[in-house]
Formats: sequence, C-alpha cells, structure tokens
Amino acid sequence: MTHDLKGTQGLDADADLMAYVDGTLPPEKMAEIEARLARDPEARAATASWRHNDNLIRGLAQSADALPRNMRIAALERELATRLQARRRRAFLMGPALGRIAASVLIFAAGWGAHGMFGGGAQMAGAQHPQFVSATMAGHYAVQYAALQQAEFRPDDMDTALEWMSAQMQHKIESPKLERLGYVVESARLVSTEAGPLAIFHFRDEDGEQVTVSIAPHAPDQSDYKLRVVRMDTDSMAYWTEAGLDYSVISAVDTGRITTLAAAVRQ
Amino acid sequence: MSIKSELTEHTASLRRYALVLTRDATAADDLVQETLLKAIAKADSWQPGTNLRPWLFRIMHNTHISDLRRAKTRSDAAPDLPDPVVPDHQHTQLELKQVLAALDQLPEAQRMPIILIALREFSYAEAAKALDVPLGTFMSRLGRGREALRGIVSGLASGKLSVLNKKGSI
Repeated sequence: MTHDLKGTQGLDADADLMAYVDGTLPPEKMAEIEARLARDPEARAATASWRHNDNLIRGLAQSADALPRNMRIAALERELATRLQARRRRAFLMGPALGRIAASVLIFAAGWGAHGMFGGGAQMAGAQHPQFVSATMAGHYAVQYAALQQAEFRPDDMDTALEWMSAQMQHKIESPKLERLGYVVESARLVSTEAGPLAIFHFRDEDGEQVTVSIAPHAPDQSDYKLRVVRMDTDSMAYWTEAGLDYSVISAVDTGRITTLAAAVRQ
Repeated sequence: MSIKSELTEHTASLRRYALVLTRDATAADDLVQETLLKAIAKADSWQPGTNLRPWLFRIMHNTHISDLRRAKTRSDAAPDLPDPVVPDHQHTQLELKQVLAALDQLPEAQRMPIILIALREFSYAEAAKALDVPLGTFMSRLGRGREALRGIVSGLASGKLSVLNKKGSI
C-alpha cells in the first residue's frame, strides 16, 4: 500500500521553503524566509522535518562510500569509459564538427587571408551543409592535408624539429610554452600551404584535453592580426600576429580558457 | 575533466543512490553493475557534450523500476521493497528505519525525487532530467512527497501507524 498525502497549508508547493531546505535559496530571500519561519510554526516544523529526513537518507547513501571496492564495477566503469570516449570521437568525426576540421584545414591551406570567412565566429563553412557533405569535405581536406605535410616529429625530437622548422620558415620559432598549464607536447609537424610553411604543435593534458597551436610566417602584404578569440560550437580559437608570425590556438574549451592558452603561447 | 575520472565520480554516486533504493549492499552493487552494463549497451545514445550524470541515473532509475516490477510479479507475498538494512553504528538507527519504512509507503513517483535531492548531488533540473519528467512535475512530486513522508513519519512516531511492527523489522 502506498500513501499520497496532500500537504497542509500548501507547504508542499512552496518552492521557497524547499529551496531553503536544499540550500538553493537566493541570499536576497534568506531574511524573508527566516522571518516567516520565525512566525509560522507549521512551516518551521515542515522544513525541520524535510531537512532531518534528507539528512538521514543521505547518511545511509554515504555509507556506500565505506563499502569494499567492487572489481566487477571497476571493470565495467573502464569499459564504459572506453565506449563513451569512442562515442565522443565518432560524434566529433560524423557531426557538424567535421565541418570545423575541414574549415580549420582550409584556414591553413588558404592562409590567414581566409580568416574573414569566419567573421561571425559561430558557423564554420562545413556546418552549413548536410552532414554527408561535411563528411565529404573533411575527407577531401584530410587527404589534401596529409599530402601537404612535410614532416612530423615526436616529443623527443622537438629540438631538431624547431631548428628545422625555423630554417624552413626563415623565422626562429620556439615551442609554445603550455607545459606550465599542464599540457605536454605530443607531436609537431610542418605543412606546406600556398601561403608558405605552417608549423603545427599538438598538446594534451592528463585529462586528454587536446590543444593545437599553429605558427606561420605572416604575409608581408597584409596587416597584422590583433588577438581575436572565436567561439565555435564546442571549440574555441584564438589567433593573432606577433613579431612577423601568425599564431592560432584551438581547443575544446571556453573562450576564457582559450585566452589563457593564447597568453601562455604569447609568453 | 576526462570521461574516465568523471565516470569514477558518477559510479560512486550511483552506488550511494542504489544503496538507498535497495537497502542492501549486495543488491546495490548488483544494481550498479546492471546499470553500467546497460549504459555500455546504450553508449551510442549518449549525446557528447551533455551531462553524463542524469543519463546514468535515468538508466539506473529505469532499471530499478523494472527490477521492482519483476520482483512484484515473482512474489505477491512480498510486494514491497526489501526490509531496510542499515548501518548498526548509527545512533539514529530507529529514526532511519522509520523514515525508510515511510519512504516505502510513498508512490515511486514521490520516493525517487526525495532520494535524489537528499543525496545533494543534483540540482532540481538535473534530477528532473534523471527521472525524465518536466521540472514542474518534479517539484510538485518532491513537495508532495516530502509532506507525505513527514505525515507518515509523524504517524509512525506517535504510534498511529504500525507499519514497522507489521513488517516485523523492529
């Protein structure tokens, strides 16, 4: 048998009293509710009872933390993490994000003159097409991108990479300093574009968050780009010109974080 | 935060929720395992970029409801939840037993919101999402459930109801 007792005096529908008990009452309402509780014994009794019952239930729930580790649960948790990571990768590759990849490659291939097409910030070229078109575009540009790549370096070849890249670009370039933010360089590559060579560095932190930084000689016939931060669907990008080089930083973070990353690269 | 570390947190939360739902450590772990197995099978239904926690709790909620229905079908003699199994060391053991017995008297639709909010791990909106109901419905069920729980506990404490004695759990 179950009970479905109606509350008295409408207390069961009082959102403020519930928020008070659950600690979500806005501070500006706190004094008002406390004054009400002081003069309304029924409301006082109700809130005290709700809170007490919650505390008892939570106490039982928290006793689960003292249970022995369950190896089967741990194994299932790992398997689920693997599946969800794969799901996230697939969604990224098959969804509108592919348009962003294609667009990013377009930026590299066409040089910074193409940046104006992303002036709105929110929509990349591929995202305006049906998904299969975005996928086709990405496939097309991925092949093109691979063909443009001149060399790829692993983390332990970074000194050699920077020396060689600097020679190719006729500019001394340094590895972006993202280590202080917890990122480790995974690889570096040099890509040929119509506008000249482009160095791309891939970083990752311990949580698997990826950051891509590109450096290219600035076209002398174009004015410098001031720092600009662009928010896309799930990623953010920052780009600017400094000391004759164009920089871009891309990651699946918010604009505040991408600004921090850009600042670290600029240092 | 990576999916792996996020999942570790959520699994701990699922275990807490499962313990309140089942009142038994073994049954709670079974429920968590069943939930994770279903989540693995349904991994493609998760939308990347959305909060994992309500998705997982919705799977656990539905799994638990199915388990209850199966248990009810199997045994008409034991239509309610298992008798509470609670830690011995709590000086509030009697009160907890009363509250758990009172919870069992509530309809499922009111019991779940009370437990989810008591965990203090969900906003109202997240909890509503976990139970797959509109926020307004959730708030209404939470409020009515809390008041109903208060009424039953009060009745139990004053001896007007003898639910616990009938169940032989005290």
